[in-house]
Amino acid sequence: MELRFKINGNEVEVITEPYIRLIDLLRDNFDLTGTKEGCGIGECGACTVLMNGRAVNSCLVLAAQANDSEIVTIEGIAEGEVLSSLQKNFLVHGAVQCGFCTPGMVLSASELLDQKPNPTDEEIKDAIAGNLCRCTGYKQIIEAIKETAKELKSK
Amino acid sequence: MSEEFSVVGKKIIREDGFDKVTGLAKFADDYKYEGMLHSVMLRIKEAHAEIKSIDFSAIEKNESLFSIITSADIPGAKKVGMIRNDQPIFCNEKVVTPGDVLAMLVGESEAELRLLLSKIKVDFTPLPVLTDPQKSLEKDSILIHPETGTNLIVHHPLRKGDIEKGFAESDEILEQTYTTQLIEHSYIEPEAVIAIPLGTSQGVKLIGSIQNPFTTRRFVANVLNLPLTKVRVQQAHLGGSFGGKDDTMCILSARAAVAAVKTNRPVKIRYTREESILESYKRHPYILNYKVGYSKNGKIKAMKIDILADGGAYVSMSPFVTWRSVVQATGPYEIANVHTDVRAVYTNNPYTGAMRGFGSPQPIFAQESLMDEIAARLEMAPDEIRRVNGLKIGSATATGQTLKDHEVNLVRVLDVACGSTDFKTKWEKNKKNKSVVVDYDSSSPILNDSQFIDPGDLIKKGIGLAVSFRGCSLGAEGIDAAAAYISIQNDGSVYLDCGLAENGQGLRTTYSIIASEVLGITSDKIIYLELDTGITPDSGPTVASRGTIMGGGAVKNTAEILRERLVTLIKAEYKLADEDVVSFSENLVFSRRKGLIAKFPEICKLASSRGINLAAVGWYKSPSVHWNEESGQGDAYFTYVYGCQVAEVSVNIATGEIYIDKITAVHDPGKVINRLGAEGQVYGGVTQGVGYGIFEEVTTDKGFIRELNFDTYTIPTSKDITEIKPIFIEGKESYGPWGAKSLGEPTLELGSAAISNAVYNAVGKRFFNLPLNLEEILLSKKLRPADTKRGSLL
Amino acid sequence: MMPSFEILFPKNLNDALNAISLYKEDVHIIAGGTDVIPGLNQESKRFKNTRLLIDINRVPEMKGITVDQEKISIGAAETFSEILLNEIVQKKLPLLWKSAGTIGSVQIRNRATLAGNFVNNAPCADSVPVLLAYNTKVEIESLNSKREILLNDFLSAPYKTKLGKDEMVTRINIPIPSSKLNGDFYKLGRRRAVAISRITLALLISLNHNMIDEIRIASGAVTPIGMRFFDLEKFAEGQKVEDQFLKELSKKLGEQIIQVAGLRWSSEYKLPVVQQIFYQLLKGIERRSL
Repeated sequence: MELRFKINGNEVEVITEPYIRLIDLLRDNFDLTGTKEGCGIGECGACTVLMNGRAVNSCLVLAAQANDSEIVTIEGIAEGEVLSSLQKNFLVHGAVQCGFCTPGMVLSASELLDQKPNPTDEEIKDAIAGNLCRCTGYKQIIEAIKETAKELKSK
Repeated sequence: MSEEFSVVGKKIIREDGFDKVTGLAKFADDYKYEGMLHSVMLRIKEAHAEIKSIDFSAIEKNESLFSIITSADIPGAKKVGMIRNDQPIFCNEKVVTPGDVLAMLVGESEAELRLLLSKIKVDFTPLPVLTDPQKSLEKDSILIHPETGTNLIVHHPLRKGDIEKGFAESDEILEQTYTTQLIEHSYIEPEAVIAIPLGTSQGVKLIGSIQNPFTTRRFVANVLNLPLTKVRVQQAHLGGSFGGKDDTMCILSARAAVAAVKTNRPVKIRYTREESILESYKRHPYILNYKVGYSKNGKIKAMKIDILADGGAYVSMSPFVTWRSVVQATGPYEIANVHTDVRAVYTNNPYTGAMRGFGSPQPIFAQESLMDEIAARLEMAPDEIRRVNGLKIGSATATGQTLKDHEVNLVRVLDVACGSTDFKTKWEKNKKNKSVVVDYDSSSPILNDSQFIDPGDLIKKGIGLAVSFRGCSLGAEGIDAAAAYISIQNDGSVYLDCGLAENGQGLRTTYSIIASEVLGITSDKIIYLELDTGITPDSGPTVASRGTIMGGGAVKNTAEILRERLVTLIKAEYKLADEDVVSFSENLVFSRRKGLIAKFPEICKLASSRGINLAAVGWYKSPSVHWNEESGQGDAYFTYVYGCQVAEVSVNIATGEIYIDKITAVHDPGKVINRLGAEGQVYGGVTQGVGYGIFEEVTTDKGFIRELNFDTYTIPTSKDITEIKPIFIEGKESYGPWGAKSLGEPTLELGSAAISNAVYNAVGKRFFNLPLNLEEILLSKKLRPADTKRGSLL
Repeated sequence: MMPSFEILFPKNLNDALNAISLYKEDVHIIAGGTDVIPGLNQESKRFKNTRLLIDINRVPEMKGITVDQEKISIGAAETFSEILLNEIVQKKLPLLWKSAGTIGSVQIRNRATLAGNFVNNAPCADSVPVLLAYNTKVEIESLNSKREILLNDFLSAPYKTKLGKDEMVTRINIPIPSSKLNGDFYKLGRRRAVAISRITLALLISLNHNMIDEIRIASGAVTPIGMRFFDLEKFAEGQKVEDQFLKELSKKLGEQIIQVAGLRWSSEYKLPVVQQIFYQLLKGIERRSL
């Protein structure tokens, strides 16, 4: 079947099968390998992408369901070599260790800051509760998101 | 060297950070090659069976199949192992645990290959299944590996003093049994590896989620019967390991390599989460019996310890894991009479091996629970009894090692932890307010009126602590040395590499900081080279929290070699007096007398024009240690670190839920090199420790794992721990770069005991069996469903 | 690994009903797909031989949350996130709002639907006890029929419902409860977030001078399917809210659960705990209405 959508701002068309998951389409057809598969059942959040601005597990979405939508993956967050303030804060606060959960984490945090520019600690924790991280204990990630919210507010 | 650092101990951004926040960092499964084949594993649903035959005839002509890879395709060793070669690459004769792989299919499409698996006919005879490690050593027990003649993997005895005399001198004797559970590393990236054939002259290359490239190389070379030089291993970005991507990855790499050589095509293996949990090794469950004699003043006179570890179906790292246990089993206490036996045995359970902590979390749970219990019996506070018995400078450990040459910070970390948490006050207050969890009677499931909990009494606060000492690096496990390579270019930019592999924790950043500090250059001038066994010198594995102390030591030595060469050159060229001091900072070079002399790149250009070699391989070797196998006596490790963690919890006495309010983690890593990384180690390690303490558990039914994915195997989320506070006690140390020692593992090992002691403070009930899950808190037992069906049906 | 199948995206209800009437067998309706897609990928028996998926996300009749005098009507394709953003739900159906927030993670809630939570009738569906307590009705349509039945009747047995093979759940209609009904919802899991529920309880009570005027009690994950306890409710109505009685009622809940579910491997833990949680919920409401 033929699908059409926007990925990271670019209009794309692709021919695929009805049973192909969004994660497979992104990784295999578009080489967007920043989207990771950790569990395949929507528990770990490593495959999180934004679909029409909302964070979704791309292992739980069929590519066909994403037809006509706007997809943002981790590759679409920075502007060229210029990191977003969220990405910068992840680095400054040491929110990255092995980095496997990082793309999903950044995207979940993006949705949060988009929906709630002024989140409480609880809201931050809730926003990333579906992104498992085994390295960091989440604390520096939470700090990075908090700091980004502060920066965006003062802008 | 002055103690003023320009980058050491500062918050420095990870050298691989940009790639990781932009999705550019390539992990193993992100690599693709022209003509690459995929693979699927053939297994049978048996924990123990003799394979009579495997009939592939139904699939042999199938178009989806490119090749079948079996044991017959292996030119070299068919069995491998970290310590003993007991693990077949392909189990063509026998399976001894459900994760075992009989053969592998390769072809263009993983999906199509999977459909073929059910068409293969495997003829086998089921054998009796041994799952209880306590029955492994019984006379009539079945043998998992009959050729060894016993299910005993290893026995470490330790004898110090006179145990009977010690008990005779004691005022009281306490005996307790503790158990700890099987757990999964839960790296978020499942295993993946690609083998690329390079032809007969070059051999094979591997890229994968590999914890220890040099170990993988050794395994693969053995299996392919090739010299080490013909197996090149390149590490992809590693999506977490925690000790878990060692044996499993070596074996997967060997399978991929055999297939690549046979098919002459690149071959990828990647696991789903279910396969990962099914086949990969885990943390050893322990059964720990402690008998302790002590005086009324709290002084421990004698400790008799008997530990049984379930090694599962293969030896793996069991002998080393349990060796750390035998060294540290008494805890950080000076005890005159110690009698310890640690054994690991075979069963048909999933096999167990290295995992962050490595034989320490289990005895710490036992021994630190025990210390609190003794304190309670003697009406002492938890910190008091530890002060009475704690190791100090000049103390002798259970192995007879006199502690010297380093700061024995045990009492100090304890003091700081208690001070910073207001421990005593909270402990006394909670103790006064505690109310006992209701004891339920399973024969009458309906509550009686008095059992209902008053809402005001529902949540009980508790505070508890645990302390530990930990030997740094490998100790008497084996040769302990590491190498680094630095090459300064004539424009002042620098290549850096070290033989210890990055595991995601930030080793490369730590090494860059060290090189940057010694050479006085900014970190943007350093390019960290990918670890490639074809280029980088072997430095042993990234294990045992040895990354900073050993690899860091090597990087510092290497950078110093090159700095000395530059200093000699500068002194000659700039005609500096012998006693003048040259220093390097911010890409500039200074003389103490003349001030600024030149920019770093100018000096490098000069050196190059003078034909000076600005590349070097440096080495760091640990001081020697020694060990007597029969008595368990000796200098086990060349230095130790000390830690104290305080857990503050709220317990819901109606449901048994434990809420982790705060963990204060006080550690003495020597010198902190990479501050963000060090804090990250504490946050991450503490969080893993909490998971181990309160809910993580792999349960099995006849060897089969129930929790095969993250829906049922629950690891902590962002919401499970309210606060973690790291505190570092930095001191002067003689070993490691500027005295930096170990941190990664100590952060994980204390949580479960601190939490259990905190729960005791809250509700006055002692726990002996990890994890302290809902059922354990209320019923002091674990409840298990009757089978391994998925889902949460009643 | 995904098996192969077809997928349809009907643009209106008629097309959707047409599709299901044509195929009937081996067809599954999906909205968020958070249950079906991993189920297919993991080769779950529930989705064996699936030939067709019908995606209802583009069916306008199955979207939207509408409110009239009597009821709040939630489209079968509405996600938990949309429910959480709805202020009327938050105000009028606070238990539903609270339970929606305990479902999975943000990513799951952004895709998963309320209808999807109960159409497969899994015993641990978090929203079911709440919906039962609200006397929720399910609107069901086929090409030539339309009916509305109580959710309580719709859920027949574990993983079984009264949905015909050519029918679809189109909307969920929840009568707006009297403002006198006060209540709470409790979910117990093994960790603080993204947890499979061990026990869920929903409770609504209206009191008249310390007398129980109306009470609705529903549970999940402790009985083979989520259920209302009508006998218990009858027993409680007209009774005085006193500590002794609340204990009595909690014990009776335990007895009822044994009657329905028998003793299982988990009963030793769940039975006493469900009584305790229920008692705590009752005491909480008692405290708030004083």
